[in-house]
Amino acid sequence: MIDDYLDRLARELDFDRALACRVREEVEDHLREAVASRSTGQAVEAEQRAIASFGDARAIAAQFALVSLAKQSRRAAAAAVLVIAAIFVAMKARVAWYAVTQLVIRDEMRPVSRLVLQIDRYAFFCALLIGLGGWLYIRSRRIPTAFHPAYRQQLHRFFVSCEATAAALALSVLSDAVLTALSLSGAGLSMAFLVPVLSMAIEVACIALLVFRIRDVARRAASTAALTGT
Amino acid sequence: MLKGHLDMIVLAALAAAGSAHGYAVIEEIKQRSGGAFDLPEGTIYPALHRLEQAGLLNSRWTTADNGRRRRVYSLTRTGTRALAERRAVWKQFSDAIGGLLGGVRPRETPA
Repeated sequence: MIDDYLDRLARELDFDRALACRVREEVEDHLREAVASRSTGQAVEAEQRAIASFGDARAIAAQFALVSLAKQSRRAAAAAVLVIAAIFVAMKARVAWYAVTQLVIRDEMRPVSRLVLQIDRYAFFCALLIGLGGWLYIRSRRIPTAFHPAYRQQLHRFFVSCEATAAALALSVLSDAVLTALSLSGAGLSMAFLVPVLSMAIEVACIALLVFRIRDVARRAASTAALTGT
Repeated sequence: MLKGHLDMIVLAALAAAGSAHGYAVIEEIKQRSGGAFDLPEGTIYPALHRLEQAGLLNSRWTTADNGRRRRVYSLTRTGTRALAERRAVWKQFSDAIGGLLGGVRPRETPA
């Protein structure tokens, strides 16, 4: 009977395997101890009583889901800041490499590159400001005890900040790609291309990672809302 | 009313018990409240996880006498401070309500 209850609880928490495993072990310890210390005779009755006292598996899972969602949204906000830092390092490494290898943009392409560079800078600083703001915002919020309208509003603001960060970063990376193409065009294919191409690949991978995390939190928010019945 | 104060209750129980696993926390609450709080025992665990995430508790796995793995929680310094703050707020609130209901003026708190 206890195993069935634990299976039900773990199934409800399927969206977070690590949490499901931890909760299963903790709850099993609780229920077995409750049966052992409160048993007055029949084992089946003792198990029934322990499970009844523990509460409905779905309701308990819904409360865990809220805690997990808050944790994931904080992690996504931290990931956004780390992604911004990684892209900054990749950009700086590429620029340093251009200086070492003396790869320069051709004169006729300079007006275009200046414009793209401006777009790149503004987009990056926007991403930095919004990303840091989103991270500080979500960190300063209390972990909710219910999926109430104020928490929905909080999550909405968080998603807007994440999406704006990702969009600004994507524009910055796109500008970087254009600048990289302008820098490499005209130069013969050589090993000197390796660093710019690799750094661009890192930037694209960082953006993909961020988008993946945001989508994961959005999916988690939807399943938490379904579990809490809101 | 209990739901709004669950975090404070769990912190207070852990402060009294020292390091404790979920079941022991529930027993501590029952014993100290004289069984006044009739809440589903399972609600304690999400509260423990929430408080841990907020940095008020830390936890670690241990092995119980029966060989089962057991998650044991204890207050962090931040948790101890948070409990002291909540105690002070509760005392102020309780004195004020006591004054209203019992007709006794609450003591002035120094500025």
